[in-house]
Amino acid sequence: MYEDEAAYRELFFLLFNPLTHFATSIVQSKETAEEIVSDVFIQLWKNRSGIDQIADLKLYIYISVRNLSVQKYKQQHKKKTVSLDMLELDIPTTDQDPEKLMLFSETYIRVQQAIELLPTRARLIFRLAKEHRMRYKDIAALLHISVKTVDNQLAIAVKKIASAVQFRSPKKK
Amino acid sequence: MMKDKIWHLLSRKLTNEASEEEIQELEQLLSENPQLREDIVRFTSFWERDPVTDREYLEATYYLHCSRMEKQGIDFPSTDDHAVTEEGSFTVKHRFSAKLFLGSVVVLLIIVSGAMVYFQDKVKEKQFISGENVSDQQEVAKNGWSEGKKTVITKNGQNEKFKLPDGTQVWLNAGSRIEYGSMKGNGNREVVLTGEAFFDVVKDAKRPFIIHTAKVDVRVLGTKFNLKAYPQDKTIETSLVQGSVEVFVKDRPGEKFLLKPNQKLVLLNNNDEQVSLQEPVSARNSANLPIIAIKRLSYSKLGDSTIPLETSWLQKKLLFENEAFSEVARKMERWYDVEIHFMNQYLRDEVLNGDFRNESLNQALDALRFTTDFNYKIEGRKIIIY
Repeated sequence: MYEDEAAYRELFFLLFNPLTHFATSIVQSKETAEEIVSDVFIQLWKNRSGIDQIADLKLYIYISVRNLSVQKYKQQHKKKTVSLDMLELDIPTTDQDPEKLMLFSETYIRVQQAIELLPTRARLIFRLAKEHRMRYKDIAALLHISVKTVDNQLAIAVKKIASAVQFRSPKKK
Repeated sequence: MMKDKIWHLLSRKLTNEASEEEIQELEQLLSENPQLREDIVRFTSFWERDPVTDREYLEATYYLHCSRMEKQGIDFPSTDDHAVTEEGSFTVKHRFSAKLFLGSVVVLLIIVSGAMVYFQDKVKEKQFISGENVSDQQEVAKNGWSEGKKTVITKNGQNEKFKLPDGTQVWLNAGSRIEYGSMKGNGNREVVLTGEAFFDVVKDAKRPFIIHTAKVDVRVLGTKFNLKAYPQDKTIETSLVQGSVEVFVKDRPGEKFLLKPNQKLVLLNNNDEQVSLQEPVSARNSANLPIIAIKRLSYSKLGDSTIPLETSWLQKKLLFENEAFSEVARKMERWYDVEIHFMNQYLRDEVLNGDFRNESLNQALDALRFTTDFNYKIEGRKIIIY
């Protein structure tokens, strides 16, 4: 039990922030999002004896959070059906407030600007891939899109951001 | 077109989705477009930087999560159990045969990050510490002075003054324990201490006086000094008032630290790491503190400036200056024989000053509230700070 608790705790520490950010993108409220993630983790603890049946625990937890978030969204907006496309999902960055971390380098600012300028969907996919370290097929499963779309959207995002990190000032040329 | 291919390949490489051929193809394209290489190197280092997480925030969140589970009546090692494990005694209240859960999570953790390594380290550390305690007792038995062994124990809220068989005077602070033998014959004078004590050691050049604690051994001939070695405290401190002492740190065999009067040796007590839920603030602070430091004793700027803060408890005073609330709470727990729990984890960081003698617990807490914004609730022997 104690060992279980320790593993559970580490898992919570690892996934709580990214999951809350993901849930926030759907329910638009950090408080509700935290509650959702906490609820999913409570279910996880209750069902831990069956957990070896789950092939991909991380994706399983993400999908649980997605489902509960969509359910909450429906309740809040009194809607019967909701598709993820309609929601214009936009995940806030999991990076902390840069001011707090004194990470204000010119490059940092330029990268953040480039990310903000991305189309919503490309930004979402970028964040899931980079900050949430998710695989293409998992992003696709989570967002109900094709792997091909993930591949294309991520390439667009990477191209735009990589061009923003460049050393030389574009005007000089 | 061809350039766009580069971004597809790079994206796949960074997300571990690329095949061997694709990685080679990327290299090929890069050698044809050297002007892009620099951007890509910089972008890759940006990509590989992990998002910064706020450990303290997570500690607090996890605490709340656990209380939610408790409220719903879910069987879970409660936060109180952490206090139990903190003492080092594994009285696990619940038993489950859920090894499978542990197994699956371990696999995930290894895949996702190095978190498991961290977890395993903590377990190892725990074993190491308990191992040390055992070796203490073996050492005592080996030296044969365990004959006629006596133990003096003080509870929280008490302290005790007494003489050892060799004439050495000992003041034992609250919540402490000392063991000693008959000290007859030619053998060393040795004691085992847990907690805090002040020693006025009788001179005997032929027989050094040795104090064993979990983390340090202190060897003296004749001196006055204070040794604070509570297992749950952030630091272990040997403070010398008079004479000289040698301190041996058990983690560093072969090294010896010699103290002069008015100096103290501060050793970081690594226990913090394993009880980080209880101690998020100091766990973070300890990352910046040196493991061993020699400092000067501190003298009060407010009260009696002739007595170092380190020994103020001898004057039956609860004195602290610029100390973190979390450390002050430990002292108050021992002084007033209470348990202090922080509901607001950020308060642990608050720096406090205080000088109490006969004040009641309520009076002391009210006095602290003058300078620091917090509330408290007293439920029997439990104090909740929020």
